[in-house]
Amino acid sequence: MKKVFLTFFLISVVIFVGIAGMTPKKGGTMVIAYWGDPISFNPDAKIDDAGSGIYGCIFSRLVALDADYNVIPDLAKSWEVSKDGLTYTFHLRKGVKWQDGQPFTAADVVWTFEQIMSHKEAPAHAHFARVKSIEAPNDYTVVIKMKKPYSPFLGFLAWYGTYIMPKHLYDITKGGSPVDWLNNPHNQKPIGTGPFEFVKWVKGAYVMLKKNPDYFLGEPYLDRIVFKEIPDQNTALQTFLNGGADYDENTNVAQLGILKKTPHVVVYTKPSPSRYYLAFNVGRRKSPFHNKKVRFAVAYALNRKDIFDKAIKYGKVAEGFYTPAVSWAYNPNAKIPVHNIQLAKKLLDEAGYPVKSNGIRFKATLVYFQGQVWSDMATIIKEQLAQIGIKVKLEEYEIATYIQKVLKAGDFDLTLLDGFQGPDPDNLTLRVGTGKDINVMGYSNPEVDKLLSEGSQVFDIKERAKYYFKVQTILSQDLPIYPIAEVINRYVYKDYVEDLPYKLVGVVAYNNYAKTWLNK
Amino acid sequence: MENMIKYILRRIVSIAIMIFLVMTANFFIIHAAPGDPVTVMTGLEQPSKEIVKALDEKYGLDKPIVVQYFKYIENLSRGDLGYSYVYDEPCWDLIKERIFPTLIITITSSVLAFGIGLYLAIFVSHLGKKYGESIVSLLSYILYATPSFWLALIMILVFSSRLKLFPTSGMLNLRYSYSGIREIIDFIHHLVLPVSTLTLIQIPVFYRITKTSIVQNQREDYTITLTAIGVSKERLFKKYIIKNAIIPPLTIFGIMLGFSITGAVLIEIVFAWPGMGRLMLDAVFRRDYQLLLGIYFLMALFISVAMLVTDILIAFLDPRVRLT
Repeated sequence: MKKVFLTFFLISVVIFVGIAGMTPKKGGTMVIAYWGDPISFNPDAKIDDAGSGIYGCIFSRLVALDADYNVIPDLAKSWEVSKDGLTYTFHLRKGVKWQDGQPFTAADVVWTFEQIMSHKEAPAHAHFARVKSIEAPNDYTVVIKMKKPYSPFLGFLAWYGTYIMPKHLYDITKGGSPVDWLNNPHNQKPIGTGPFEFVKWVKGAYVMLKKNPDYFLGEPYLDRIVFKEIPDQNTALQTFLNGGADYDENTNVAQLGILKKTPHVVVYTKPSPSRYYLAFNVGRRKSPFHNKKVRFAVAYALNRKDIFDKAIKYGKVAEGFYTPAVSWAYNPNAKIPVHNIQLAKKLLDEAGYPVKSNGIRFKATLVYFQGQVWSDMATIIKEQLAQIGIKVKLEEYEIATYIQKVLKAGDFDLTLLDGFQGPDPDNLTLRVGTGKDINVMGYSNPEVDKLLSEGSQVFDIKERAKYYFKVQTILSQDLPIYPIAEVINRYVYKDYVEDLPYKLVGVVAYNNYAKTWLNK
Repeated sequence: MENMIKYILRRIVSIAIMIFLVMTANFFIIHAAPGDPVTVMTGLEQPSKEIVKALDEKYGLDKPIVVQYFKYIENLSRGDLGYSYVYDEPCWDLIKERIFPTLIITITSSVLAFGIGLYLAIFVSHLGKKYGESIVSLLSYILYATPSFWLALIMILVFSSRLKLFPTSGMLNLRYSYSGIREIIDFIHHLVLPVSTLTLIQIPVFYRITKTSIVQNQREDYTITLTAIGVSKERLFKKYIIKNAIIPPLTIFGIMLGFSITGAVLIEIVFAWPGMGRLMLDAVFRRDYQLLLGIYFLMALFISVAMLVTDILIAFLDPRVRLT
């Protein structure tokens, strides 16, 4: 009896301590070692990857993405989509205030989206192409009507360049003519509805934010957040280890081994909807890879497990033709060819590329951009292709030249790419659709185009999946790309940092630190 | 004196012409580099052709390069350094924020390196051929051959990671927002490592030039004559040799001050210091043409003026030099 009682007592203590320990503490400053400098604090006007990690603290969206890429409520507490997919009705939260005290209303939403639609250079502009009208029947309702159904709309609305901006500060005139949102003084001193208010931005050094006590999801726990720009990853690591930062957002995979062994440091990794792949020149300038047999020969010759182990190290070897991170759209049956040197050689013979007297079948260029991972991958690919008699010439460029050469001119045989493929499989359109923006291969298959277009007009997820499954099957037969590996997101922070957004799936957006606190 | 004023006026005219030529050359060289600001901005994730076209039109990048050039020169002649495509701000606003952080590390370290290098050279030469010289010379060779970014990282590892004496990076402790005198102390605390690294890297330059110059002067005819008429070694060294030997390091010092506005890219990157060097490097990678040109303009101006000032200063110090 005594034993039972003691056990019961001990369990109670453990539970009590556990709960007490997890009650969030208020206060403190969280310093994030950050990789880049935003270009401005207008979150919707331009593509700005460094800024997009910070905007989520200051601004809110209608709907947001959590760290698992689910669409969650933000300024809209609920929404409905009509059966025909043509009308979206958003019900806004009441009592939300801008950080300058002005009330937030549906008029702000309508104004923001109108700006996106009238600015062609806005990153979200293309996603609004099928929008017919945006109306606010009252202060707390927004109705968006579409010309054609577009099922990825909600996902893109939650993703990039769709933060709601304050109409009362941006809808201004100077000397009688309206001021473009790129020239508004508030781009340097933003006012949002988010959990943190802007304090100071010293360009190239840091962005300092303080909590917004009136935040609609509750007062944030942290007093301040500082995004400290540290461009060099070694310095970022030392600053983090020496206590100059609590969260290191500028790590590289080579550091993860050491970091995992460091006491009081948490290293967490999770799949990201981004992947490394080799792209063939299928229809740009003249190239042996226009021939499908040659592409298959390369796929048989390459050993992506080897490339992964030696060059990439963290993440997963790719198995299929879309990111498994968006699991409902991933087709596990569309497989990448398995390593088989003999078959590769046979295919090249058949394709009319016999081994010449110098032991070489043909020469090809592999163009890639600067960076350790890329140059390691390229070197291994070069070696693996040498085994079947393809002599690869490596060409490394900094990003501006790379874009010029690969994206604009199509002057390559092989190239390496990665990049975000979410939040919706409609993103595949950009990468494999005829003439689309990241289709560097010059790949064109009318059936793929048709499936992608039809898939974007279906709302039932199970039905939709069928279209993307089919696309992946066709890609595995046409092989315009050779997927290599799935990328992972890494989170490196001190063990006293609790409840980072990635842990709060379904609760906050992936870049919203409202619920993060310091346990010390 | 009248000659001097005429000389200065002539130099100012030639500086203006030179800067114009330099800016013209820069303009075309920068635009000849592959890639352009808009495609870098749109990147690889969302390079929509529509966005590219809209931005090209917005910034006038769709116009012929010669038209862009005349537009640029026209703006420049009105004192307008141009407009950054990336940041959507006037270049001068971006540049002026970097001037103080840049000059504080570059000028401080140049002055320190000049003083220390000069002192070491005089000290070693005065001492005669003893161990001192070999040790100092060896150290100076080692430092001279040390890559600055590597030295910077070692300084961080030793003095902040190991000894915990100085902060690792940045300009201020952002966890505690100090103000007043505490802020100044905090700033100086952050300044120590980058300035020491830059000073260490520059000392060998001044040391070696001064030392060579002293050795040359010791072999000059006037030295032999003065020794022959019985001037003491001490007096000869202090009164004559040093005075003559200081001219070459002073010239180099002037040039270095001219370059100080460009910052120290590698040091700024390693210490996360928000200086001009990083702004320039970012502008290169992002092909932010006008920002880059603005920085080059300032650089050309600074160097020309520094050289002019150095020449005038040397003319005062060395009566043999005539400015004509």
